[in-house]
Amino acid sequence: MEASSSRLSVSCESCGARMLFDAHQRSGRCPYCDSPNVVDRPATYNRPDPLFALRILVSSDSARERLRQWIKGKRMGPKGLRKRAQENGRAVYLPTYLYSATAHSRFRAEIREDYKRGKERKREYRVLTGKHAAYLGDILVTASRGVPNHEVERIEPFYTDNLLRYSPKVISGWTSEEPSMTREECLALAREESGDRVRGLLESFMPGDGHRNLRFETDLAEESLDLTLVPVWVFSVQYDENKPPFRVLVNGQTGKVYGKVPISWRKVLLLALSVACATGVFLLFLHWLGAVH
Amino acid sequence: MPCPRCRTPLEPEDLRCPICKQAAPAHIERDRPETMVEVLRCDGCGAAVSYSVEAGAPQCAFCGSVMHLERSVDPREQIESFVPFAVSHSEAKEAFKRWLSTLGFFRPSDLVSGATLESLQSIWWVGWSVDADALVSWTADSDFGKNRAKWAPHAGQAEMSFRRLLVPATRGLTRKETSFLAGTYRLDSAKPHPGLGGENTVIEQFEMVRSQARERVAAQIERMVRARVTGSCIPGTRFRKVHSSVLLRGLRTMRVAFPAHIIAYRYRGHLYRTVLSGQDDAAVMGSAPYSLFKIVGAIAVSFLGLLLTLTVLSLLLS
Repeated sequence: MEASSSRLSVSCESCGARMLFDAHQRSGRCPYCDSPNVVDRPATYNRPDPLFALRILVSSDSARERLRQWIKGKRMGPKGLRKRAQENGRAVYLPTYLYSATAHSRFRAEIREDYKRGKERKREYRVLTGKHAAYLGDILVTASRGVPNHEVERIEPFYTDNLLRYSPKVISGWTSEEPSMTREECLALAREESGDRVRGLLESFMPGDGHRNLRFETDLAEESLDLTLVPVWVFSVQYDENKPPFRVLVNGQTGKVYGKVPISWRKVLLLALSVACATGVFLLFLHWLGAVH
Repeated sequence: MPCPRCRTPLEPEDLRCPICKQAAPAHIERDRPETMVEVLRCDGCGAAVSYSVEAGAPQCAFCGSVMHLERSVDPREQIESFVPFAVSHSEAKEAFKRWLSTLGFFRPSDLVSGATLESLQSIWWVGWSVDADALVSWTADSDFGKNRAKWAPHAGQAEMSFRRLLVPATRGLTRKETSFLAGTYRLDSAKPHPGLGGENTVIEQFEMVRSQARERVAAQIERMVRARVTGSCIPGTRFRKVHSSVLLRGLRTMRVAFPAHIIAYRYRGHLYRTVLSGQDDAAVMGSAPYSLFKIVGAIAVSFLGLLLTLTVLSLLLS
């Protein structure tokens, strides 16, 4: 076994052939005998052992079908996308951290109370300060530099209630990655998402007929970060030989699709012109009607 | 083993705490000094095994055998302890007769002699006994401190504790019956087995899996919290838009079978039902007939009395 800074050269446990594993790859298949190999590295602070894994539920065929349906709906995509797109993809067990904590917050908001004076509807604002405490759970953040967090958010949710304890058995035969982001980076992402979660909780916690200027401070205590492998189908879609392919992710549990499709500005311009023309014709028609009457 | 964050005892099969989502400590610590590569082998034929989406488990492509994975399980709830019967059948019958005779004037005079016992069934009905501490944050509108509008907003936080909160899981008894019986049991006397003499006693079973049970218990705690918040936390007399957030700590749930006698009796062709606590012969509740004759008679007498008073008054005044 030889390790370089970027790749790991190992002997296939089945046929003995030498094969290369990327520095952040945890499992894959031998290119010679197709044996499913799983690399088991000693755990470190930034690369702990996975604690949980989520079961992959979407097969290769259904992931491709979802992708094609999704492409069909992209009417503003570039020329050739809906007719000539070729996809190439595989399922990856993406490293993510499942974060949970206890959130103690202090808030201040102006609460609106509506009332009537005679037939007139009026409102008054009263300042309310208070405390809120709740457990935050099931906050999932990426630990892979290859798939940024905002892309993972777009294909969430994952079924975190149905976790499996991690074992090489779960990822055997599939490609999986080790975390490539540091624990601190992931913790910062999780805390940011926690802030959004707390805001949502507080928004629905406010009394009155409405509120404004909600401000809060949150102390996150008893935090935990558990490395969890989640199944994602990663496709590279090529629609023109001269253009670079773009990436599409499909949730390996729900089949939810996300990708950033290049926009055809020609089509957008054409649509804008058509709308402008239709509006112009309609206005002319109205003008003519006015003149007749 | 309790959860390190919220002190709720975890079941052996739990991968995470059901209350606060903290990961349960792993059973096996893996210790490897160096990087290793492994290929999973089928226990049956030795071929390499891959995870199969169709089988939902690692499956051998050659012999089709499937490997087990450790996952959260959701078993059906099982009774942990039985509160023993302290009231025998004969004592139950006596208590039932006593209860019939104390129902008051508006019942038929021959109720005790005319009621015929159809059946006396002893049951152990099931429920959860819950202990929990909670940090409750609340907000609400109330009439206290109102200004021009009818309502003023309020917020607060309170520590609450729940001890021996009984959450019924039975389908045989109504909510009214279970809340009446709840106060009559001594949980200290509970035993892990039903004991002797319970041969003819029906033992009700939990019809829920663990996750449903936890939802039911949590919902009951939420209801209790709401009742306490409106009862003692919010100032004022009228409330609206009450919100609460409950941070549970040390939620302990015991799955208990509670003893009761159910009596069916007939009076003038109609069937009535009575429930007695299996531990307290003074705790009886149920339905019983009213005497229409007595009720009509009482109304007629009061009407006549009123008429008489009015007549006397009018005579006196004239």
